[in-house]
Amino acid sequence: MNLAFRNEIAITVLLSGGAIADVKVEPRSRPPLTRLFAGKQAASLLAVLPRLFSLCSAAHQVAYLSAVEAARGEDAALTTVRRRVTAVIAERLTELLRSLFIGRLPLDGARAASVRAMMQAGAVLCGGVDEAGPDSPRREAVLQIKSALRELGIAGEDPAPGSMLAAYLADLDGEALSSPTAEQSFLTAADDLEIVTRLLRDGAHYSDAPELHGRIPETGVWARRRQPVLPPGAGPAERLKARIAEVVRLCAWLEDDEQDRDDGLVAAYRLGSGKGAAAVECARGRLYHAVELDPGDRIARFEFLAPTEWNFHARGPLVRSLKGAVPAPGRRGQDAVRALVDSFDPCVGFNLSFREAGHA
Amino acid sequence: MCLAIPAEVTRLLPDEMAVVSIDGVSKEISVALIEDLAVGDYVIIHVGYALTRIDPEEARRTLELLRELSAGGQGAVP
Repeated sequence: MNLAFRNEIAITVLLSGGAIADVKVEPRSRPPLTRLFAGKQAASLLAVLPRLFSLCSAAHQVAYLSAVEAARGEDAALTTVRRRVTAVIAERLTELLRSLFIGRLPLDGARAASVRAMMQAGAVLCGGVDEAGPDSPRREAVLQIKSALRELGIAGEDPAPGSMLAAYLADLDGEALSSPTAEQSFLTAADDLEIVTRLLRDGAHYSDAPELHGRIPETGVWARRRQPVLPPGAGPAERLKARIAEVVRLCAWLEDDEQDRDDGLVAAYRLGSGKGAAAVECARGRLYHAVELDPGDRIARFEFLAPTEWNFHARGPLVRSLKGAVPAPGRRGQDAVRALVDSFDPCVGFNLSFREAGHA
Repeated sequence: MCLAIPAEVTRLLPDEMAVVSIDGVSKEISVALIEDLAVGDYVIIHVGYALTRIDPEEARRTLELLRELSAGGQGAVP
């Protein structure tokens, strides 16, 4: 068997005169789900999504269910919506926490056990996307998450003094990359309708390289943290601190069960007869699904747009943050560029290379 | 969009590391986030870490689906 998917983003930084002249981003492949599922019953895709998309399977399930309901002209019951919101929040928390440690800090015995406990508790809370469960496992899961966070040095919006996370942030070399003052633009729920309309109209042509009237906004933690005004040249440390702060907020949300809070976390849109779409705010940003069903409830079209397509767009937020920046010479500067790319938190691995502009 | 490609554990190494086979290609990964892993288990990997264990039947179905997707069109981003 030879699977023809490239599940990694290739990033080439082109240098000229010591500054970053350009950045080339070669995205990963996209599976042709529309072609494969066209003509099949709408319910058939629901079981497949968690198998295909491992990191944000709850978000994909909720987006798909919400889009299909909108296409059918149905409204989910309030209790169902609340279960889905909890699942999306729990998955977002788990993903943000896991991505703080994986590949960044050594996961030895105690830390690995804490991350494992966190993942197990998150899985319990994500289990209610499509069916109700008792309350007691939920309470226990939230307590387990709180305990794991404390053991990992996350008790408030800043890492606990003396923790490995605090030491890592203190060691980030903010001086090794002088960044330009790039204009910031953020994706919000107000953009949803235009995006899903174009997604259903233009399909992969749009989802491969999305834009909003020439604007390619950022999505994810940094975009959600847009108030108060963020420093335009913020580096990896600020971005990672924003991630920690969000983990703490999400944990508090789960503990207090603030079910009435509405920040556009899940939004559904009816786009005409048999057509529907949904947006879900997952760990790495806004995820979109759009479907068209035929009168027999079969899939005529299915499109999706993942948040990484915005952040790692060839003219997107990461590229804007790097172009014109001046890295320190040698390995030190390259490490600083890598830390910045990593802080944008792509949903797949990335391969980073450097070369002088004009050289083949 | 992270595709979850199942990997089979082919060898366990010291220090919570293991060798897995992904689509016939061997790769060394960390298994620190999964307890009691054995040779023959299937896992889902993200940036060098095994994140979840999946049962062999689920792995088989996922690989079959990925094969269909692969044959159905590359869908590569230009």
